[in-house]
Amino acid sequence: MNSNATIDPVQTHLIGEFKHSRPLTTLRVDPASRFVAAGAQDLDVHLWDLDDGTLRTLSGHQSWVRSIDFSGDSKQLYTACWGGVVNIWDLTQDDPSIIRSISAHQGAARWVRVSPDGTRLATCGNDLLVKLWNIETGEQELELKGHERHVYGVDFHPDGEHLVSQDLMGVILIWDLKTGEQQRKVDAGMMTGYDKKFAADMGGARDMQFNPCGSRWASAGITKVVNSFAGIQDPIIVVFDWETGEATRQLRAAENFKGVAWAVRFHPQGFLVGGGADKSGKGELWFYNDGSDEAFHTFKMKSAARGVDLVGEDRLAVAHADGQVRLYQMTAEATEPEEATEVES
Amino acid sequence: MRRNLDCNGIDHLIARREFLWGSAAGAIGLGTLTSPLNAARLQQQQKRVLQIYLQGGVSQLESWDPKPGTQYGGPFQAIPTSVPGIHISELLPHTASRMHLLSLVRSINSKIGDHRQGMLFMEKGRRAGDYPYFGSVVSKYLAPTDAELPGYIHISKRGIVDSTAAFLGARHAELKLLGDQAPANLVSPKSIDEPADEARQRLRVHFDRRFSQQRSRALTDVYNSSFEQAEKLMKRKAMFEGTVSEQDLDRYGRHDFGRHCILARDLLENGATCVKVTHHGYDTHAENFNFHLEQLGEFDKTFSMLLDDIHDRGMLDSTLVIVYSEMGRTPKINTKYGRDHWGTAWSVAMGGCGIQPAAVIGKTNDEGTEVVEREVDGGHLFHTYLSALGLDSTTDHDVAGKSIPIGDPAAAPIEELLA
Repeated sequence: MNSNATIDPVQTHLIGEFKHSRPLTTLRVDPASRFVAAGAQDLDVHLWDLDDGTLRTLSGHQSWVRSIDFSGDSKQLYTACWGGVVNIWDLTQDDPSIIRSISAHQGAARWVRVSPDGTRLATCGNDLLVKLWNIETGEQELELKGHERHVYGVDFHPDGEHLVSQDLMGVILIWDLKTGEQQRKVDAGMMTGYDKKFAADMGGARDMQFNPCGSRWASAGITKVVNSFAGIQDPIIVVFDWETGEATRQLRAAENFKGVAWAVRFHPQGFLVGGGADKSGKGELWFYNDGSDEAFHTFKMKSAARGVDLVGEDRLAVAHADGQVRLYQMTAEATEPEEATEVES
Repeated sequence: MRRNLDCNGIDHLIARREFLWGSAAGAIGLGTLTSPLNAARLQQQQKRVLQIYLQGGVSQLESWDPKPGTQYGGPFQAIPTSVPGIHISELLPHTASRMHLLSLVRSINSKIGDHRQGMLFMEKGRRAGDYPYFGSVVSKYLAPTDAELPGYIHISKRGIVDSTAAFLGARHAELKLLGDQAPANLVSPKSIDEPADEARQRLRVHFDRRFSQQRSRALTDVYNSSFEQAEKLMKRKAMFEGTVSEQDLDRYGRHDFGRHCILARDLLENGATCVKVTHHGYDTHAENFNFHLEQLGEFDKTFSMLLDDIHDRGMLDSTLVIVYSEMGRTPKINTKYGRDHWGTAWSVAMGGCGIQPAAVIGKTNDEGTEVVEREVDGGHLFHTYLSALGLDSTTDHDVAGKSIPIGDPAAAPIEELLA
């Protein structure tokens, strides 16, 4: 690691690996950048301490975990699973326990995010609903109806007074949390496609994030569906303007990369990071500046990326389909490369 | 190149409409046989088959043989059904509550992971050879000679028209309907009145007779069968023009599969012998779980409504219901969240006429990677279907003095599945 060096995505390189036996589904890094929590194709949450590589396994879900968030003080973990359950975990214990388990949605709970003030959770799911929960009591505060297809992603605006949710068909709804009403509707039709051969729709937000000031948000997913049943479509990251709701940028991968964009992050230095999975099973990280919708740097990885998060400002954690969390450093390699950390679960 | 003597596409059937015009005035409209009395009469007279073909290979793990919590089980749960002890995927809640009307075979090892070859094995009951599809066999032996509808009707939005009848003859070939719309050209041109049409018919028959004296009779048989089928459809044109009720659409769903199943119900109720409905979209090499959510969500309620209607109208005892694919899907989940082709350990569901309800035949291991009990294949299923209909699948077709075993002699019915 060379954390004092200048951040330069072009210099991105692998610095560590945390191994698990099952393919990973998602990950999230805590605000203090000490822990990384990952879901997998099993029933557990896998929590690694980035300082010493210690793994803690959190058992309690009955299905795969597909979305994770941390409280601002890193003391709680929120996990949503395909079974519709959202669990709140106490991370202050050596052996984290479930503080509260919420049967949040009928069918999968696809996403969970904590509010900026840390008091509420937003979730969405296959029951076409977006819900708001009081973390302290576990009670439902709002049930937001308006989507007509499965809701894939939801996130709080940094003002804490609005939610953005996106469904399978690229319908984005913006909700006013003071009134509980739908305030605006934004078209992300480019992020969905109908496969005529198989007579089925594909789309949805696979990741969403606002920039810190809330002037923009980005959504990752797919576009240009050719044969979605074989995974042949293009990944896309769309940036929306908060004031106008317009899709101001449509960020692409290289022409020969066919698959899904599973992640997007605004970097504090102004560039965007995306990550995705190619149909071949390989992955890529994409780095975009404001000046172009083409990536100024693409970092190729041997395994599909299913989730990306920042570790501080200089590192990226990636959940891979081969069961590993890998850490990548966005600075030049030290003169004498350090050995990669390898910790087996 | 060999000519396809079974060519029976609807366009082909109707193309030479100038030769033929059945009086629509005599048509029996849709609904005239939908009373319970008529349904009961049909029940006594005729056994029928409903095939629901989940094209592409439905995942057994997301349908009939879930393995939640295991290495390859996927994210979905198993739910209890109306039969104590039988669990199926949570993606089939409506079907689960009707499980007492169905049975499962969870131990198919077809050894075929290919769409075309897998489909042919499931349809013919044989791995190779020019044999008729199950629907054509049913048409041959169960369709009344005076049937008012073709014996084997396939409703699908796409796909080629298969040569399904083999040596049974064109009359028993699949008649493919591309959706629930009336086939094209069912109405005779305005310029041709009834006397002119009758004159055309006489001329056609005359030409055919002369032609058949000098050539293979099979050639004229094909054309005659096509005309016969077209005539039947033209007389039943009103079937396709009936308005689907809002109530039916609410129950079945306002999508293609819903409309196709409503048509299937009406065809069966109005005398069709074998009706096959294809539901596309199960070849999920990528996004297996999201797509099964969508596709089985559509299948589950629609199929359940169709099963209810067949049951409630007193037809289930005389109607064999089969839900099948050409193969299953791999237990192993690929990097695209997909499952690939798999013929080694998969499942079908069936019920109704001649089938013991609420049974589970066979078993796969804990991870679904192999059959561990009562292994069967398409040959066994073919025998079982025919046996359920009261046909002796171990006897022979008599084709121009030649005996051809109806079912594969190397296989046999699944006796414990028969009522």
